[in-house]
Amino acid sequence: MTLASTATTGAPSGQRPQLVIDKVFKQFGVGPGAVTAVDHVSFDVKPGEFVSVIGPSGCGKSTLFNIIGGLLDEYEGDVLIERERIAGPHKAVGMVFQEESTFPWRNVIDNVAFPLELQGVNKSERLDRAHHFIDLVGLKGFERLMPSALSGGMRQRVSIARTLVSQPQILLMDEPFAALDEQTRLLLGDKITQIQQDLNQTTLLITHNLTEAVQLSDRIVVMTYRPGKVKRIVDIDLPRPRSSDVVSSDAFGHYVAEIWADLREEASRGMADSESARRGGSRG
Amino acid sequence: MAATGQVKDFTATMGWARGGRSSLRSTNLIRIGLLLGMGIGWEALSRSGLLFRDVVPSLFSIWAAIWKLVMNPAFYANLQVTAWEIFASLAIGGGLGVAVGIILGANRFLGAAYEPYVYYLAPTPRIIFFPVMIMWFGVGVASKIALGALSCFFTVALSTAGGMREIDKVLIRVGRSFRATPWQMAMKIYLPAMRVPVLNGIRLGFGTATVTALLAETKLSNQGLGFMIMQIYSRFDMPSLYGLLIIVFILAGVGNLILGKATGTSA
Ligand SMILES: Nc1ncnc2c1ncn2[C@@H]1O[C@H](COP(=O)(O)OP(=O)(O)OP(=O)(O)O)[C@@H](O)[C@H]1O
Ligand SMILES: [Mg+2]
Repeated sequence: MTLASTATTGAPSGQRPQLVIDKVFKQFGVGPGAVTAVDHVSFDVKPGEFVSVIGPSGCGKSTLFNIIGGLLDEYEGDVLIERERIAGPHKAVGMVFQEESTFPWRNVIDNVAFPLELQGVNKSERLDRAHHFIDLVGLKGFERLMPSALSGGMRQRVSIARTLVSQPQILLMDEPFAALDEQTRLLLGDKITQIQQDLNQTTLLITHNLTEAVQLSDRIVVMTYRPGKVKRIVDIDLPRPRSSDVVSSDAFGHYVAEIWADLREEASRGMADSESARRGGSRG
Repeated sequence: MAATGQVKDFTATMGWARGGRSSLRSTNLIRIGLLLGMGIGWEALSRSGLLFRDVVPSLFSIWAAIWKLVMNPAFYANLQVTAWEIFASLAIGGGLGVAVGIILGANRFLGAAYEPYVYYLAPTPRIIFFPVMIMWFGVGVASKIALGALSCFFTVALSTAGGMREIDKVLIRVGRSFRATPWQMAMKIYLPAMRVPVLNGIRLGFGTATVTALLAETKLSNQGLGFMIMQIYSRFDMPSLYGLLIIVFILAGVGNLILGKATGTSA
């Protein structure tokens, strides 16, 4: 197989974008102390496409994630889903948060079944569907445990299963694999790719892990360190269906090296920034 | 549940359980010893004739008075009245307290605007509102319920508002992202997340309601345990007075224990 012939981006080109982010701008605070977290970010995602947003820590990724999820409503610019500007959380969107977000008072299966409970799905169907996704994230046998009895990575997988069970048309994930070890991350990445391709699910992944982004994405949006702007958008023309084996291919290495060059520049700006803030702080 | 289980296992494997149990036994011994010592001291004081006769009646006469009280139907009639007052106060004041606590806690602006009032009013002795309540609701049960409800309202509202603010914010975002209705947010996220502070508030509210009901009954009433205490006092029947105080003390303790067990918050 040649790369060119299989360079599908999960969706026929020319299709209308499902999610449009148009000149989104967000500032925290006012006056001289204001922080611009997201600076006129624009890109769009077609139906069934897998897009990653990558950038150094503190560049405004989570802020953008919350805006697209409809959880932050004081921002400039537009977020459009199916050509309509969102007003609050959209019904087509499912979110996986960066922070620990399982409900500590619910066991694993009741955590996962939560969105179905909100929709009024009856109990037996709810449990059936929850079981399926618990199995998928590799937590079979842990259904009755409380989150406090799980490891951080296992809890994160519970959160992922909880969002998947609601079968969102657009899946938004904010560094969902950050608490996982490399092996689990690769394997879970395979599962996510598989679901994403089976259901033709539109996915936006926020990450600062380059390998993960290249492994999973059709396109990668590289962001700059503060203010968070789009530095570059890179198409990843690796064959699909894709599995974690792709990480050992030459083409994969090329993409990683290419994006890393951009990313290193931004990350070192971020490091220098926090370094000088620290020195300034200790002096004052 | 799981956590306590783990702790138990842990102490068992570390060989601490034994030590724990025997130290529990020794604290029980100390308690019993203290009670015995107090009883003997009391009895000695009563027989010494150092104080006015009847101010420190013999334990045996107190015991006889307790026995007479629990056989007396009037005691149960009064107990029922007081119990109803406490229950109704807690239901009304506690219910409103949880609701207002949620509103104050959830809404930053309302919270900033009204919470200071709640803080200022909370420590004022509610009994000063009793005359007002009597004017509004009469000398019967209703004025005690109103005063009791007013008292536990503040306790419950403040602990609920505090609990609200301690909720992990990401859990609220999870609920919103799944488009939970306001009712679903309250029932499935806010309330379970605040279970412990709310239940503690309700237990404190029970204490406040009990104190208020009895206090109000001793001031102006025609029924209830507080009324009975004042009646006995007016007869200067000291053994019955002490007997009734002991009964009230035990009932309040048992009530608190039951509430603690029912709500799963330990004393
Ligand atoms: N509620 C807020 N109030 C004030 N400033 C905020 C707020 N939320 C985020 N910021 C600031 O906005 C910037 C971007 O934050 P954000 O959480 O979006 O970064 P991020 O890219 O997700 O970082 P990370 O990779 O570490 O998660 C940071 O400088 C942060 O201090
Ligand atoms: Mg973030």
